[in-house]
Amino acid sequence: MAAASTFDRLRDPSEKTLGIMLLAPAFLLLALIVVYPIGKLIWNSFYDLRLSGGGGIKFVGIENYVLVFKDPDFWNAAKNTVLITLITVPGALVIGLGLAMLANLPFKRKWPVRLALLLPWALPLAFAGLIFAWFFHTEYGVVNDVVRRVAAPAEPAMWLLRPNWAFAAICLTIIWKTSSFMALILLAGLQMIPKSLYEAAEVDGASKWQQFWQITIPMLTPSIIVALIFRTITALQTFDIPYTMTKGGPGNSTETLAMLIHKTTIDYLDVGYGSTLAVCMFVLSMFVTAFYLKRIGRNA
Amino acid sequence: MIRRTSLTALMSAVALVAGLGASATAYAQQVTLRVFSGGANQRPDLMRKLFDQYQAKNPNVKVEIETGGATSELQRQYLSTVLNAKDAAIDIYLIDIVNPAQYYGAGWLEPLDAYLGKPADVLKPYLPVYSSSNVVDGKIAAMPAFADAMFMYYRKDLLDKHGVKEPKTWDELSAAAAKIQKAEGNPNLQGLSIQGAPIEGAVCTFLLPYWGQGKEFNDAAGKMTLDKDAATKGLGTWLSMVDAGVIKKNVAEVKTPDTVNEFKAGQVVFAINWGFAWDRFKDDKDSTVQGKVGVMPLPAMAGGKSATCVGGWQWAVSAFSKNKAAAAGLVKHLSSPESSKFLAVEGSLLPVYQSVYTDADVNKTAPWFKEAANVVIAGKSRPMSKDYGQVSDVIRTTTSAVLARTKTPAEGVTEIESRLARVMR
Repeated sequence: MAAASTFDRLRDPSEKTLGIMLLAPAFLLLALIVVYPIGKLIWNSFYDLRLSGGGGIKFVGIENYVLVFKDPDFWNAAKNTVLITLITVPGALVIGLGLAMLANLPFKRKWPVRLALLLPWALPLAFAGLIFAWFFHTEYGVVNDVVRRVAAPAEPAMWLLRPNWAFAAICLTIIWKTSSFMALILLAGLQMIPKSLYEAAEVDGASKWQQFWQITIPMLTPSIIVALIFRTITALQTFDIPYTMTKGGPGNSTETLAMLIHKTTIDYLDVGYGSTLAVCMFVLSMFVTAFYLKRIGRNA
Repeated sequence: MIRRTSLTALMSAVALVAGLGASATAYAQQVTLRVFSGGANQRPDLMRKLFDQYQAKNPNVKVEIETGGATSELQRQYLSTVLNAKDAAIDIYLIDIVNPAQYYGAGWLEPLDAYLGKPADVLKPYLPVYSSSNVVDGKIAAMPAFADAMFMYYRKDLLDKHGVKEPKTWDELSAAAAKIQKAEGNPNLQGLSIQGAPIEGAVCTFLLPYWGQGKEFNDAAGKMTLDKDAATKGLGTWLSMVDAGVIKKNVAEVKTPDTVNEFKAGQVVFAINWGFAWDRFKDDKDSTVQGKVGVMPLPAMAGGKSATCVGGWQWAVSAFSKNKAAAAGLVKHLSSPESSKFLAVEGSLLPVYQSVYTDADVNKTAPWFKEAANVVIAGKSRPMSKDYGQVSDVIRTTTSAVLARTKTPAEGVTEIESRLARVMR
């Protein structure tokens, strides 16, 4: 009897059972491709799992985490990652907003402007890094060529061989690469602001400057927050551009967390410690995302 | 795989019943081997010809080729990913000389003793550096494919024109280069080109002036024996040449192809590079230095002895291959004297057998091989370590930072020592 009733229940499920049945495939898929890898990562982070050691696995508890805490390379990479985020996210926002306002002007033909906006975004990150590394090359780079024509310095600047200059060059490249994505999201936001608001402000005698601060910015805030979340999360994961431009050099002065994790696991084959570093980066990302989500809850 | 085996068994049974035993045996042994054959500098075009030769002699074997990775580091990253995933798709790998220890240590390579014989017997005919670096933990981890070493290329015409003899020490070289640069009056002419970018070649850039003082980086067991003063002095040698204008200021940006291209363009008097560069200088259409190039052993430090960095490539059978016996058979052919000669004649790839260096056919196409043999034999190999990925990264990154002058040589050497103390003990 029990079997029959189970069968009947499946054939004519209650709303709750139906809900579970419908959600199950998606849940299984998510568990397989998201929950399992993250769980495995956390699991690995508690083991001494060095492939170079002959594949022996040893449980070491929180030893890896203690090592991370004392590892100057980790703190250096964390500092670089946070600095890149703090510089390039606002940088891309300002440039992106400017581009979006420019693209929102009443052009006769809109597509060339939009296309120009899209191109840097469509370019793969690694290509952007390689192209800009070429721009900043001491001898063959276009940057030094322009400098030579304008200022004629005694010595060409070695952009990518000086820690601070290399860092600046990387930030500049990231801002160039990402501001078009910002601009796209902000442009969509701009187009949703009703024209009537500006007309009313015009009638009331508000200047363009006042219109910008009193109408555009408040109306655009939801778009800005969405753009900031996306940009911040990808900024914390910065890898391709510094990897292709400097490989983290000179020394490890431009190494980011993602690069350190890659180096530890792929080059050093230290999967255990690499996993620990990845967990630390994961926590950092979660922390920042939670902060943003809380802000949105308050604003929207 | 199970399905294929049972299918094979079924077909064999059917064939036997039909009295076609012979062809069934042939079918049962039919194997396809997939070989990772490196990047363009490892000449996959010539390797393909070697595979074709083997296929012609062994109709039951089909060899597929896979290529990729322009540099040794890129290849190492790709192979680490593939082998870490225990991928059975590739049976044979062409790997850099620095990798057998690491890959064997990680359990990625099949020891070839069972297929080829005792290590001492099998590797005896090869040049010593290759017979030693392919044996790990007393087992054959890989078989030598072709040799390589860092050579000192120089502009014969310029040395003759200014009455300069081949320098024997780095100090002599610096003075000779400076003299030629001054006399030529060309601001773009570099005295010496070395690789200072954080690439594999920079490991050799660190080791050359260190070894040149008669010092060793590691003992036979792989323990680090770094002499900090000598290493500091070695890096200082490069920096003093930068100060003298012999090496260009942005040396920390120079990669292997940059040296080749600038030398080809006639902008370099002395250049350190791998053996493959010889063909580029001699054969490339855009080479402005054809017929003007000489090769010599690397200079020593004053009071030391000349030493170069040995490279070279090996064939290894994957521990995850499903056709290990067939793969070992192909590897045996690829590392034979005939294959070594073929690669030397067709592509100027340096032989791994001493006898091939003096072969008449080889000397007709590459007369400089006679002297090259001594350079390779006198050469040293980079530290053999199961953690070579880390050893290489630490040395090349630090060397590049010192050459970029973001660290002093003493700081750099201290950093190398402290970072490697844990892995090279």
